[in-house]
Amino acid sequence: MLWGVKRETGSSSVVFGPADEADLIERCRADERAAHDELYHRFRRQVAGNLFRVLGDRTDLEDLVQEVFVIAFRGLDRFRGDARLSTWLYRICVNVALGRIRTRRRRPTAIGVSDLDAAAADPTHIERPETPEKSLERTRDRERVYRALEQLAPKKRIVLYLHEIEGLDLKEIAYLVESNPVTVRTRLFYARREFYRAIAEGKGQGEEEES
Amino acid sequence: MSRHVAPHLWADAFAGKLDAAQRAKLERHAKHCAACAKRRDRVRRASDTFPTLRVQSAPDLSWDGVRARVHWSVSSARRRAGHQGRSSRAFVLVGTVAAAGAAIALALATGPTPTLRRRPLAAVAPAPLTSQPQHTPDALAGLVSRVAGQVMIDGVRPTDPFAQPLGAGTVLATGDGRIDVQFGDHSAFSLGANSKLVLRRFDAERIELAVDGTVEVAVAPRAAGQRFVVLAGDRTIEVRGTQFRVAHDASGGTHVACQHGLVAVRDAQGELPVPAARKLEVPARGAVTKAHVAELSVDELEQLEQATPATLPLWTDAHTLAKSSATLEIATIGKQAVRVDGVELGDGPLHVRVMPGRHTVETADSAGRFQRAGWVDVTAEHATRLEVHADAPRTGGAAARRNQLRAGIDHARLARCTRAIAKQGFTDTYVRIEISIDETGAVGFLNVIDSDLPSTTQACVREVLADVHFKPGAAATFRDKIDL
Repeated sequence: MLWGVKRETGSSSVVFGPADEADLIERCRADERAAHDELYHRFRRQVAGNLFRVLGDRTDLEDLVQEVFVIAFRGLDRFRGDARLSTWLYRICVNVALGRIRTRRRRPTAIGVSDLDAAAADPTHIERPETPEKSLERTRDRERVYRALEQLAPKKRIVLYLHEIEGLDLKEIAYLVESNPVTVRTRLFYARREFYRAIAEGKGQGEEEES
Repeated sequence: MSRHVAPHLWADAFAGKLDAAQRAKLERHAKHCAACAKRRDRVRRASDTFPTLRVQSAPDLSWDGVRARVHWSVSSARRRAGHQGRSSRAFVLVGTVAAAGAAIALALATGPTPTLRRRPLAAVAPAPLTSQPQHTPDALAGLVSRVAGQVMIDGVRPTDPFAQPLGAGTVLATGDGRIDVQFGDHSAFSLGANSKLVLRRFDAERIELAVDGTVEVAVAPRAAGQRFVVLAGDRTIEVRGTQFRVAHDASGGTHVACQHGLVAVRDAQGELPVPAARKLEVPARGAVTKAHVAELSVDELEQLEQATPATLPLWTDAHTLAKSSATLEIATIGKQAVRVDGVELGDGPLHVRVMPGRHTVETADSAGRFQRAGWVDVTAEHATRLEVHADAPRTGGAAARRNQLRAGIDHARLARCTRAIAKQGFTDTYVRIEISIDETGAVGFLNVIDSDLPSTTQACVREVLADVHFKPGAAATFRDKIDL
């Protein structure tokens, strides 16, 4: 039984224990409109944050958030309670993001600096005032990371993101990507090599090295 | 260390996964290897970025809007499930009543003796209901053939609306856009702007579309036993093989226009056939009567023609066609009318399903004149995108090109085009054209912008003009009037 991933950035600050959660799920299953609203309000920022961080841009973010909640509400009957609700929602986010990455690979789009700036402009996560140069540098660093992620196959990308950036362990990742830890470990092994090679060689950043 | 350091080892070092000795070894190498030092710095910067990525929160979204869409989508699915449940319960109820009626009829027929009446009732009544094998018709699947503007499928704005075949229960909704769905050879429907359509039934026996808004339908003749029905409020429109439009507005009014074939419109009071080139406009709470039937004007017929849903040839089934075709995205700047291989598809930007091969795309400028935007090679199952750039019209060298046009017209062919109308005494006609010629002498576009000729003659004349050969020279775009 997996009772939650290590971190839930952007989730509600309200204490929300397993008992409250079970009650909320039951009310949602009984098609109580207020319960649906409550679940949405509790988890909307977390869901949007997860999707935004995995994908690195806000294109169609609203549609993806909608997709996650639609899947969640339709699938609540199948939720067995073997994980926290937030973890289960995270799993749906990962699957939706994976679908999105696959579609985007078929129709590549560039990561806009403005997308990442939008997050940087969010006052909730700027700890101290930055100089414009520093801010631009930080934005470029983020952009480099996401460009290197774009080089990876979707499954490798998700695994690498969850391990290197979110800091999750193999078991947690295996639950989220609906796989087993051994497969995740293999995927991660190759993903790390490809990702750091892309970072080291500056691929996709206009500063490629000659090998 | 003679070999270069693998980049992921630097990441391990920064993450504290290597011991001091291993780290020192890597650093020693980097001290003498500029390339590795550069890579180390890049990996370090990336590793330093991870904590800031980890704490990024989501940008503000229109949360209420998303919530409303989620609710709409979930409740639509629930309504659908409820409807199916009600339908099956209704069938059971009808079956029970019918069986009971049959039993009573049988009992009455057998005579008035109470003993005789009871025995057949017990033996006959329940048996057919439970033992009758339920016939389930083959499910149909539709394939999205064109999308423009805002479109929702089952309450979600899909990232790739072309990806999945559509079946019974699907809900389509449009904002400022349209969606075309093909469900057979020359059979398709197109949902207009600000409309909603539910595929209530979608099987080999019956197709039932419930529409709120405007839907254009083109249906190939149906096989015996197949029914095609559009439900618009409390009115039903049924066809065998035809092309027609149904519009059902919010106030309850219904507008049915039949381009060809025959449709039957039913309400609680009765049924009325609407033949080709006729329309029926029934106001809210009005009865379907002959008084509401009128002829379609030429403009209305032309509108219907232009709104024909997009269909692909070689239809076998949705899954096969999905694999043998591909989507083409035509990205125009702002709204521009689009023509692919000579077929007008409406305003871009839009996505359309096409067969593999080379396709010519034309777009209209602000005056409605089509010009070639480019050609694109499409392969099966690979989405392709064509960006249409706005080009300034070319106007230089018009006089020379006009002279070349007039000198190059094949007058004998032109006379053959107009012979038929000349025999009817229809002379002194003209066409006013607009033509664009590039430096190589190739014709970019040729539009007939005005004429007093019948359309077939006009097309024939256009062919003659299009065959004029121009020499290389200055590019020009100009209008000219050709008297015939």
